Amino acid sequence: MIILSFLTHSFPENVMTIQFFFFMLINGLSQGMVLFIVASGLSLVFGVLRVINFAHGSLYMVGAFLAFSLSTLFSGGSLFSFLMLMVLVPPAIAILGLGLEIPLFRRIYGKEHLLQLLLTYALLLILDDACRLIWGGDIRNVARPDLLAGSIDFFGQYLPTYNVFILVVGPLIGVGLWFLLHRTRAGNLIRAAVSYPEMVGALGVNVSRVMTGTFMLGCWLAGLGGVFMSALANIDLSVGMEKIIECFAVVVIGGLGSIGGALLGSLIIGVGISFIQLPFSRLAIVFPYIVMALILIIRPWGLFGKPER
Amino acid sequence: MDKSRPENKNWIVGIGFIVALFILPFILAKMGRTGEFWIWVTTEMIIMALFATSLNLILGFGGMVSFGHAAFFGVGAYTVALLMKKAGVPLGLSLMAAPCMAAIAAAIIGWFCVRLIGLYFAILTLAFGQLLYMIAFQWYTFTGGDDGIHGIPKPEFLGPANYYLFCLVIFLVCFLIMRMVMNSSFGLSIRITRENTERAKFIGINVRRYQLINFIIAGFFAGLAGGLFTELNRFAQTEFLHWSRSGDAIFACLVGGMYSFIGPAIGSSILIFLHIIIQQIHQSLVETWAIFLGFILLAVVLFAPEGLVGLYEKLFKKS
Repeated sequence: MIILSFLTHSFPENVMTIQFFFFMLINGLSQGMVLFIVASGLSLVFGVLRVINFAHGSLYMVGAFLAFSLSTLFSGGSLFSFLMLMVLVPPAIAILGLGLEIPLFRRIYGKEHLLQLLLTYALLLILDDACRLIWGGDIRNVARPDLLAGSIDFFGQYLPTYNVFILVVGPLIGVGLWFLLHRTRAGNLIRAAVSYPEMVGALGVNVSRVMTGTFMLGCWLAGLGGVFMSALANIDLSVGMEKIIECFAVVVIGGLGSIGGALLGSLIIGVGISFIQLPFSRLAIVFPYIVMALILIIRPWGLFGKPER
Repeated sequence: MDKSRPENKNWIVGIGFIVALFILPFILAKMGRTGEFWIWVTTEMIIMALFATSLNLILGFGGMVSFGHAAFFGVGAYTVALLMKKAGVPLGLSLMAAPCMAAIAAAIIGWFCVRLIGLYFAILTLAFGQLLYMIAFQWYTFTGGDDGIHGIPKPEFLGPANYYLFCLVIFLVCFLIMRMVMNSSFGLSIRITRENTERAKFIGINVRRYQLINFIIAGFFAGLAGGLFTELNRFAQTEFLHWSRSGDAIFACLVGGMYSFIGPAIGSSILIFLHIIIQQIHQSLVETWAIFLGFILLAVVLFAPEGLVGLYEKLFKKS
């Protein structure tokens, strides 16, 4: 909140009305929620697989473009078609992830960081260029369904319904993820595989299947983030790279592998960018880097993580 | 096993290759416009080989992945561009200033970065690199923003062929210096920090200081490469600092083989050559360059993680 109050002072009086402030805040929060959905996938995959997936942002972008393509097939504007996107696109990305994990990722677990980074970077190059070949360089977006297109009255402030919708859904996903990880057998296996992969294997669990499942879950989250983003803002070929950098910032702030930290980090980055964007649009691009550098210098293991050594 | 120490046979091949490189521009100069184009391409290859070799000091020998190495390339490039264009400093002096400025930048950035290990080091170098990129982008009055700096003066005597020879000599000198450094006790200590940091600490090596010095040396030579590249193109632009250029150098190290000294130079030359060839076959193929590169990288990571040099040694030397 200190950051916010500082920023409100930096605006000229006539621009910085309450209405405007609310709009920026809710925009930032909803961007942050989408970022949280994507970044929690990245963080989860890192926690189990110990691989930082550079291509995560690209998977998110494929999800967003896929949502766009599917939305042109359905009659636009109905809530049903948007729900169909939410149901269809994330599993499609998860299956794409399956197709990447089994032949490629499995071969590099436990190898050098550099090889893992470069493999995922190679995937980023391929996926990004494939997107350009398939969808081209135009700016796209998905029409918001009628029910979510308007705005709602919130104590005298009119807020866009769609942003409110994301603000409701985002935490639900977070809670769902928490429930999955802490209250189900699958989640127990995932968490056990994070801490003691050999032990889990010795107990007769197929660890590589747990890893594949986690990777697919991470991809599913990337796809879901893509669907939400496609109707929240314009998408083009730069969004994948932009999102992976923001995700890095998020996991650096929150600490790799921490879902709660990812939520906090996402909200900081989302709201921060939203408020910086208007007065200094170009600074908004560096904002994630500045935060990243500061956190890494002051507290390299993140706000919620633990020192590795 | 010390792979960087060549056997006698390698020396003969190496000297023959260097002689061929010295003769090359005279042959190409007789071929008119295409020859001139290829002189330009080979000069670029030499400069980028210097850049990739400098990165390999950190990457292959130090075992630290830096995504911010282009920052030092860019600092060198802008130093030459600004000194020559705005202050009218002669080329020689500018080329001496470029690596020094880059080394200073490397000292400041490295001081923060070497505190971190592994992935965190990679992310922090990326962040610093992009910050410098944005400064070059934003500071319009000083760096020309996204227009860059154009029309850098060129000394009369430096035709394409002469500039090629100039770069070649500088490259060879730098290459030998870097090789000497890496085979010195300092270089051996750096390799220990890569193999086993705990052990290096245990036998009394100040790991952070050694890594910082290594980082500065690498930045120094990257700055020189940047300066040479600016003079070749006669412009400097923000793209020089972008992290994708660091990525290019990392690919060069990987493709060539980062555990050998000559590997990055080979890898970088091959990648540039492939890029040009693809461009020559059909202009539209350039748009799919990233896909080509992606598949090359996948193949190298999965099947030949020690790069082409490693592959060569596996195939022809059964030691």
